[in-house]
Amino acid sequence: MWAFLASDCMFFGVLIATHLVYRLNPPAGGLDPKLVFSVELTSFSTFILLMSSLMMALAVTAIQKGNVRSCRWSLLTTIFFGMIFLGCQVYEFQHFVVDKKMTLSNSLLGTTFYTLTGTHGCHVAIGVLWLTLMYVRSFKPGAGSAQRTWLSHQLLHALAFLALLGLCLKVTLGLVHAIQVEPTLGAAMGHFVKAEFLAMVGALAATAACGWFARPRGPVAFGEANAIDVESMGLYWHFVDIVWIVIFTAVYLLEYL
Amino acid sequence: MSAPSHSAGGHADGHGHDESKFQIYVQIAMLLAVITGVEIVAVFLPFPKWVLVSSLVVLSLVKFLFVIFYFMHLRWDKPFCTILFFIGLVLASGTVWALLALFSAEASLPLPTP
Repeated sequence: MWAFLASDCMFFGVLIATHLVYRLNPPAGGLDPKLVFSVELTSFSTFILLMSSLMMALAVTAIQKGNVRSCRWSLLTTIFFGMIFLGCQVYEFQHFVVDKKMTLSNSLLGTTFYTLTGTHGCHVAIGVLWLTLMYVRSFKPGAGSAQRTWLSHQLLHALAFLALLGLCLKVTLGLVHAIQVEPTLGAAMGHFVKAEFLAMVGALAATAACGWFARPRGPVAFGEANAIDVESMGLYWHFVDIVWIVIFTAVYLLEYL
Repeated sequence: MSAPSHSAGGHADGHGHDESKFQIYVQIAMLLAVITGVEIVAVFLPFPKWVLVSSLVVLSLVKFLFVIFYFMHLRWDKPFCTILFFIGLVLASGTVWALLALFSAEASLPLPTP
């Protein structure tokens, strides 16, 4: 894992360098990043990612002590924070493309910015998927329990969980969009309920399915012996966090000087 | 990710050590949040640009080091892990520096269009 992270350092190093090279030699008539970026939203995303790193560290500590229940809650919180970060990024990209007219191909700023932050977003999405699979894995029954149906049950569990995450993201973005396009809060709520009714019902159904799959069913084959699995996943998640620490300064904050 | 060189908050160290590790994590997370806040405020302060750039680089470096040495357990892992990661980090930093130096050279600037 450390070797992979070292190689990923070089990968992101080149992407960051490319962005900085173009920012230090901007083409004439290019977009002004100060008019495009929103420091408030990015600061919030940064804070959320830092807190997700804290929860990930607590998940590793919990499983090292064999505390599966605490580890599960920490993993869930990390997933939740990761999804908030992804939601903020989706919203930011949509805002930049639609309102600020900065696309992947119409400016050098757009090309390097979307490539860099999009690659980082893909890493976060892969991390969320990995966390989800680890969370589901923590329900694997112990020896002598329903081993035969475990795989199909947990595949359905993972699907229900991913569906829940996707639907929550859609509902949240729908709410933000409704508040933006409607003049009053009442009208926004009406618009939101009308547009996202099916997604909300789906999210409720997915929540119920996740609760059903996660019901206690005896001892599980997940404990201190799996600490190394959770720790390697944690290393990946923290790496995503440190990359964002650099991106936040190099791509966003330096533009405001 | 390796067997720690000595117990990194494992059960062998007892409840007291686990409690202190939890507190360390929370304190570091709070510190990182405060540093982030300072960075955001700093860019709007009327200081010379070089002071602000240096401050931002140092603050980011502090955050970076706190995360890798505490959250990623490098402080408690074998030195080999630190060396392995820093090889990648040094190569990446060198690449960034080389590219920035190369493209800021006068010879690499785009030719004026006629």
